[in-house]
This record gives sequence, structure tokens and C-alpha cells, in this order.
Amino acid sequence: MIPAKKVLNTLNEHWSVLELLFKRFKMTDFSVKDVQNIIKHKNPQWTSERIFRETNRLLNQEIIIPLAKSSQLEINRAVADFASFLLQEEHLGLAQEITVLVNDLERLGNRLEQAADEGDHSELRRFSRIMDERVRKIIKLFIHNENAIFNIVEQAKSDSSAISLQKRYRAVIEAFDEYIEPMLEMVDIRGEFHACFNIIETQLSQQIDNIELYGRGTQDKRMLEQLRTRILDMHLIGRESLRKSADMLMPLREELRRNSLITRQASKVLGMIRKNGVDRMLSPVQPEFVSDIQRFSLGQQRHMVAYMAGLAEFEHEEYQLPDQNDVPDYQSPHIPDYSEVKKRFSGTEKTKKALLGFLTNEYPKLEADELLFLYQKLVSDDALDLQQDQQRVTVTIAEQDFSLYPFNASTKIEHANDNN
Amino acid sequence: MTTINLAHLTELQAINKKLASGYHISEQDTTLWQQLDQNIDAYQALFSALGHDLHHDARGFYYLASDESTPNMGKISRAIALTVFILIEHFANQGKDPLRAIFDETADLELMQTLVQLNKHLFDQLEIFSGSDLRKDVYLRMVRLGLARETEQGFMHLAPLYRYIDALMEVNEENFDGLEEEL
Repeated sequence: MIPAKKVLNTLNEHWSVLELLFKRFKMTDFSVKDVQNIIKHKNPQWTSERIFRETNRLLNQEIIIPLAKSSQLEINRAVADFASFLLQEEHLGLAQEITVLVNDLERLGNRLEQAADEGDHSELRRFSRIMDERVRKIIKLFIHNENAIFNIVEQAKSDSSAISLQKRYRAVIEAFDEYIEPMLEMVDIRGEFHACFNIIETQLSQQIDNIELYGRGTQDKRMLEQLRTRILDMHLIGRESLRKSADMLMPLREELRRNSLITRQASKVLGMIRKNGVDRMLSPVQPEFVSDIQRFSLGQQRHMVAYMAGLAEFEHEEYQLPDQNDVPDYQSPHIPDYSEVKKRFSGTEKTKKALLGFLTNEYPKLEADELLFLYQKLVSDDALDLQQDQQRVTVTIAEQDFSLYPFNASTKIEHANDNN
Repeated sequence: MTTINLAHLTELQAINKKLASGYHISEQDTTLWQQLDQNIDAYQALFSALGHDLHHDARGFYYLASDESTPNMGKISRAIALTVFILIEHFANQGKDPLRAIFDETADLELMQTLVQLNKHLFDQLEIFSGSDLRKDVYLRMVRLGLARETEQGFMHLAPLYRYIDALMEVNEENFDGLEEEL
């Protein structure tokens, strides 16, 4: 028997070595040489003699033990378990482990009841203690498995994309199918787990009531109460832990499912494309783009539709034949624009002058009727200040003689200014 | 009713120019993307008044949705779709996680050549005969549409590529049956 304290000291001293051994070799075996190398690596200043001595110390204290019928070594299981607990490098346990423990709990519950009925207090205490231990163990397993699942998830997420999807997520899928699903089934409100706890709980409550009633074995009451609380707590912890684990695994499972779905779909669609041709197959599904060109052209179907709809709604306005009044009078093409004439008129001297004289001077090439047309327009213009002569005068316009009372005019504004 | 304060929409011109040319604005266009992200309501109202449908995809990109394209754009889109589907199959055949690989790995000329060689009869239909054709006809256009980004080694695919993955998932048995009948 090796004193515990001695082992603990060695563990403490060589923790870095053990950690590396544990991580590098996991659960496989290794040679003495490996151990020495690691010690040398961690303590480069040590002499080879010291390294040899330390290796022997690890061996003597059974921290590393030889494999049966071999010169290879392995880490003592107990130490490995402890290390895995410390490093949280836990591996997923079996759902059956928990199932077995729970079933055992049920069996123990029955034995406990029996012992209580017979009034055997030492037996009652013994079973209560065993049950207590089982419950602790179950809680430990729950927490252990939760950590393990966390590790699995982390690993699946951090892996390089070089390895295949199936390989990367194999652990995830396994964890889900082999642990989470059966466990969820078990903790389900109508599952066996729940039923079993109900039975145990009623049994325990019954015992406690009996103790209260008869006053026998009061010292056991507290122990039973504690056990009951612990079982209830365990149930809660189990549900919590499973829910958390499922939450961690679910997204990865979804991702895997989606990824394999996409792959499957891609090969299916490509197969269809190979059979039916690219254009025919892809035209109905391809994403569409907007571009400037298509916005300004009539190329798209919806543009055509809009255009046709516009045409369909088109209606003739009732065509109105012009009547006599609407027809503009004939105007000789020689006549200059009236506004032009007026501008020219207001551009000349500001005093009143004979309109006809102005017109004959300015437009010598016009025919008499054309000049008269302009004259008439000027006379009826409101913007001019007009004054008619009192005497009848005969004027010659474009070799034609006219006798009339001619108008003299100046622009109105000018006239107003003159008054001022 | 959204009030549009044009003074806040400082990148309007650049955004309009990009979107109208069919470009997808994703997170790599930091300024434009932030601008859109912050004033999405105003931009959406503005663009819908202009007769566009400014679409925000939660996977991190904005684009103008349209229900059809001109024949030329349609052809480009088909070529891109085919390339993306073939890429997915290619990565899956190599045992990689296709979704991850498509966004993580660079598409270089070598990959393009392999793709075209392996799927010659499909690319032939789109008049793509070599890796450099694929680069020119598909990848450079993808860059112009904001679906990929050119790097030193090749091209990186960007988030808007999800439109094609969605399109891939849309192809289902019913479409297929319809096609069979047509044939």
C-alpha cells in the first residue's frame, strides 16, 4: 500500500509530464523511452540519472503501470480518470449506465421499504446509504456526459474543413443517437425514469410519515429526507443537463442535415441538367438581376405586358370637324410676324407718327393688302396710343390710292411718360 | 409613413449606381453596407417609389429583386448557377463540407480548369470551353455583380451566392415532373 500523500506529491511534482502523457497517448500504451523523453522535455536541465530515477518513481508508485505481458506502459486507470476529470477531457458514457443505476435505485427502494416494514433500522440505514451513493453517481454521470458532449461539439466545430463532413460529425451523430435520444425518452414525463422516481418518492415519503407517526427511529428521518431531496434534485439536474446537451448538439445536427441535403440536391439537379439541357432546366429557377439596360428597354415580358395594356386602354377622342369659325383666315406668307412689326414700331421715335407712313417705309416690298392687314392689326392693338386725323387724306400705298382718315400712334407707355 | 431625409442618405448616388447595375451590396462594401443598414427604411421607401424592390437578405446582403431578366442577363445567371451547383458537387465529391468550402476556399484557375474538364458537356452548352473562359465569362461577371471578390490567388465567393443555393433548393420534384411532361 502506497501512502496517498506520497502519490499526491508525485502527481503534483510531475503534473505537467502526466498531462502531456495523457493528452498525447490518450488511452493507448507507451514505452519507458516516451516517458523519459517527456520528462527530459519538461525538465531540460535534469541529468539522465535524475530522469531515470524519476521515471522509476512514477513506476514504483503505480502512477504508470506496465501492460500485462508487455514492456509497454499505461497510465493507471484511477489516475487517468482523475486526470480526465481535472482536464475535462471526458468521454461520453453510455445511456445504459444511467439506466442500470436507475433500475438499481428502484430495486434498492423496494428493499428499503421492506426493511422499514420489518423495523430493521440498521438495514434501512444501509440501503439508504447505498441509494445515496447511487444518486451521487448518477449526477456525476450526467455532468460528466454533459462535459463530454461539450468537447465533442467543440471538436466538430474547430476541425479543419479538409476532412469529410461525415467523418467530422460522426461523433456528433453518435452522441445524439446513442445518448441524447434514449436519455430524453427516459426522462420524458411519461417515461420509466419518471415513474420510477415517483415510486421511490412515495415510498420515502411514506417512511418519513411512519417515522413521524410512530416516533420510532427519529434519527433516520433526517437521512431519508435528505435522500428524497437528493433524488428530486438529481431528476432536475438530469433534465437540465440533457436539455443543455441537446441544445449544443442540435445546431450541428441541423447543419449536417442541411449540408447533406444541399449535396444531394446539387447532384440531383445536375443530373436533371445533364438529361434535359442547361437552359431548359435552369431558366425557371435562376435568380434574376436588375440592370440599367433592362430598365430602359422594352425587352422584358412585363414591359411588353405594360405596353400592351396601355394599347388596350387607348381610346379615340371623338374627332371634331372644324366649322367655319375655326378656320384661320388666309394669311399671305410675305407678311412678317406681327410681334416683330410691333417691336420695330416701338423701336422708332417716340413721337406720334402716321402708321401707314411707318409701314410703307419699313416694308416697301409688301403688297397694298398686306400692308393694310398690318395697319388694321396695329390700329386694333390696345398697347398703342392712337389718334385719328380729322381730315380725309388720300395716300398712295404700293402704287394704290386710298382715301381715309389715317391713324397716328405711339406706344402707350411712352405717351404716359411724356405727360409726366 | 417613412420620412426620407435625403441629407442622411449620403451614399445614395453610389448605392443607386451599384444596385441598378445588378450589384449585390454585401458586408465587404463596408461604407455602402453600413449606410444601407442604418437607413434601410428610407432607402427601401425611396427605391420602391422608383419602382424597384430593394431586398435585404438576413445573410448579409442587399439587392434589387426582379422577377425576370433580359435574355443576356439570364444567360449569365444560368452560367453562374451551373458553376455554383458544379462547385457544390465538386467539393462534396472531395469529401469536404460543401457550404463551408464554397465560402472558405479560393477558386483559382486550376480549380476552374478542373471544373470545366469534368463537366465539359454542360459547359459546352453555355459556350464555356476552358478554365479561362470560365474565369472571363463567369467569375469576372460575378465580381461585377458582387457575388465574388477577386484576390491574389483567385476568387472568393461572397454571401449573395446564397441566392443560388436557395434556387438550388427550390428545384423540386414538381418542377421536374412539369419538365418531364413538356418533353
